[in-house]
Amino acid sequence: MDTFRRLKPAGRRRAAVAAATVAGLVALTACGGNQDSASGGGGPPKSGGTLKVSFFPDNPTFSCIDPFQVYWIEHRSIVRNFADSLTDQDPQTGKIVPWLAKSWEISPDGLTYTFHLRDGVTFSNGKKVDAQAVADDATGWIATVKATNGVAYGASYVQGLTGATVVDPLTVTFRLSKPNSSFLQATSTTNLAITDPSEYQLTPAERCIGKGVIGSGLFVLDHYTPKVETVLTKRTGYQWGSALSTNQGEAHLDKVVFNYVAEDSVRTGNLTSGAIDIAWPRNPFTPQDEQLIEKSGDTVEKRALPGVSYTLFANTAAGRPLSDPQVRQALSKAIDRKTYASTIFGPEYPVVQGPYNSTTPYFKSEASKLGYDPAAAQQILEADGWTAGAGGFRYRNGAELTIDYPITQFSAGAELLQAQLKKVGINLSLRTLTTAQQATYLTEGAYDLTTNYFTRADPGALQFIINPDVANSKALAKRAAAPEAITQIQALFTKAVQTNDTKQTEQAYADLQDYLIDQGVTIPLFERVQKVGLSSHVHGFAFTSESFLKLNDAWKD
Amino acid sequence: MARYIVGRISQAVVVLWAAFTLTFAILYLLPSDPMQLQLAAAGIQADSLTPAQFAAMKHQFGLDQSIWAQYWHHLAGVLHGDFGTSLSQQVAVSHLIGQRIGHTLLLSVAAAVVSLVAGSALAYVATFVRRNPLRVVLTRLPALGASFPQFFVALFLIQFFSFQLGWFPATGTEGGVRSLVMPVVTISVLNSSVLAQVLIKSFDETLRQAYVVTARAKGLSRSAVHLRHAFRNAALPAMTILGVIVGLTVTSSIVVETVFTRDGVGKLAQESVLSQDVPVVLAVVTIAATGFVLVNLVVDLLYPLLDPRISHRREEIPKVVAP
Repeated sequence: MDTFRRLKPAGRRRAAVAAATVAGLVALTACGGNQDSASGGGGPPKSGGTLKVSFFPDNPTFSCIDPFQVYWIEHRSIVRNFADSLTDQDPQTGKIVPWLAKSWEISPDGLTYTFHLRDGVTFSNGKKVDAQAVADDATGWIATVKATNGVAYGASYVQGLTGATVVDPLTVTFRLSKPNSSFLQATSTTNLAITDPSEYQLTPAERCIGKGVIGSGLFVLDHYTPKVETVLTKRTGYQWGSALSTNQGEAHLDKVVFNYVAEDSVRTGNLTSGAIDIAWPRNPFTPQDEQLIEKSGDTVEKRALPGVSYTLFANTAAGRPLSDPQVRQALSKAIDRKTYASTIFGPEYPVVQGPYNSTTPYFKSEASKLGYDPAAAQQILEADGWTAGAGGFRYRNGAELTIDYPITQFSAGAELLQAQLKKVGINLSLRTLTTAQQATYLTEGAYDLTTNYFTRADPGALQFIINPDVANSKALAKRAAAPEAITQIQALFTKAVQTNDTKQTEQAYADLQDYLIDQGVTIPLFERVQKVGLSSHVHGFAFTSESFLKLNDAWKD
Repeated sequence: MARYIVGRISQAVVVLWAAFTLTFAILYLLPSDPMQLQLAAAGIQADSLTPAQFAAMKHQFGLDQSIWAQYWHHLAGVLHGDFGTSLSQQVAVSHLIGQRIGHTLLLSVAAAVVSLVAGSALAYVATFVRRNPLRVVLTRLPALGASFPQFFVALFLIQFFSFQLGWFPATGTEGGVRSLVMPVVTISVLNSSVLAQVLIKSFDETLRQAYVVTARAKGLSRSAVHLRHAFRNAALPAMTILGVIVGLTVTSSIVVETVFTRDGVGKLAQESVLSQDVPVVLAVVTIAATGFVLVNLVVDLLYPLLDPRISHRREEIPKVVAP
């Protein structure tokens, strides 16, 4: 498979065409081939059968399947297959293409988006997908943002949206209070999927467990039992898939069952022994598991996830060791990212190059600033007053340089990081959190270093982590940088999205990425690649532009 | 007899109340904030709320009451069969348990039966055989079985019977009996070993009794003495272990359901303890304690049926008349 192929920056620039559709049109780099590698063989598609997919455990603190609220990557894969969006995004080029909307216009001032809907589309309960339904959805999104105080995952996608009006039964206009150049890309995502707006009569918590959540997708959400399983069944009469799928009609599969298996080795074993069809882990397979899968005749599909790379965020509150920018710089220089990637994920694994994964539009490589330089790290610490002391760690005014690093189920290779930092005298103290502590440690500020990432084929993804206005955890956002740095970051985001000028957007995002690294606001650790173990009996597997699962062409022999 | 039963039932009620209260106390002593847990489950971060909103939410969740008020509220709920709402899932606890208890009951009952049969058979054979090396191996076997950690047994079974041979599914509850085999074996390795250890010991003691020698001297065969005379008496101490085994099955189901990804009450208990989902944990503990207490009560009532020497009647104590 032709992995990690990227367009050159020049090619990317050329690909950015229409001014109004900026974000989406910048070439997304697909680590291509996924659409035809697994689907190539096997003859004509067969109908029927149940596809079994195993994820890693469900969200322990926020169980949710409602498209607008859920940020959980695995559930967005599920949403993609039962709810359609106005537009779709080409994983190869990043181009926004028609789906429920046949066409659209964006006003020159970037404040109105008019969509012309496809006729004859219905929700799975038979109701029409018309301009009224879309407009009511917009109202519902805005209400949800309000009800959750801006925490709902969709909040960062509808920035500036004030509502939508029905022009005629198949034409709807979204109004924005300020330009938001990433809004068109937002309409292609799962969180702005179009659902039967009557769901908004229920509370956000009720919708989370799937109550009233009805889409127009090629599958129907049969049920979601938090932490247990989600079942989708085939939607008969479906005929409005986007042009990105070969099969735009009914699904080949009758049923899809998603469950959660905590143990990585058990999930992989289930795949190789034929008990499941797809093993979908959160962190990439270990090299050993990958070998095992390939040896048993199954395949590993991979695609870099667009969005924020796997990043360390510091607690810069006063009195914390990482409030000192010098310590943050030293810490970043002490990380050997190349060794980290090859040790934890295998020799072929890409090395992280900046705040964003390399497949994100407007990505700028900061690799030159992220080199491994333990000597420089030690010099910085020495100059900053941290002198070597007992146990090989550094001390200042009698206090040891200890970094409290809470670990969750998302953590990968924490011990290796600990060993790397020890070489320059930083004591990275690992602390495993219970589920209950995971829900509260950020708010309590009980950490020095934490990790986060977010998947979206747009640099705006970082706002969900670091912009206090729309961040999921306001606590993390506020502590990740000093107030003046946060103001500067917000200003750069505003500059990037509140314009129709691609050049300005590109410049602002480049400045933003420089700023984040220079200030040590984000300390990238590894590039995120979605790896999927695929049974040899599954054909037609495909990733979406956001590296989610797309089942339009999938079938089992 | 009636007096005895009433006494035992009131004891059982006290045990249940103590289990409930202790669990409540432990969960509330843990250093975390149930308010934040509930907010997180509702998709809201505490730090995004104004103080007034925070107070309103606190009131809505009933967390602005004193700990005593909350305790009475929970206790009254449980007495009425209402276990409240899960903090982490915003669903009625009875619904969560109702969905899962069938799987766990099936697993527990199957494991109890297998443990009972396997443990008794092992003890019987181990004490019956006379060839020394075999006898030593068989009598030491339960010690080995009781020392293997369950997760290890489970992972070994998965590796061998699921991934290598493909005989049984490694995870889930689909496929009826096939999905039940390995979890039941895992639990039974421990439980039957505990049972066999006790049985072997009491067999050894019983076989040294004079009546066994008498029976043999009267010309009864060894197997007849072993089965009809010795086994019945040796089984009495093992009865007591039954209650313990029920307790073990509850703790075992936590490990086994987690490793085998079976959606039962055990896995729910594990998840709920980690996420400090107080109402769910309280409900699981109350239900498990009820089972435990009931089995012990039944065992106590069965004693006199098995051994007429044991009686629950109050003996008339002869009055000592002063001279």
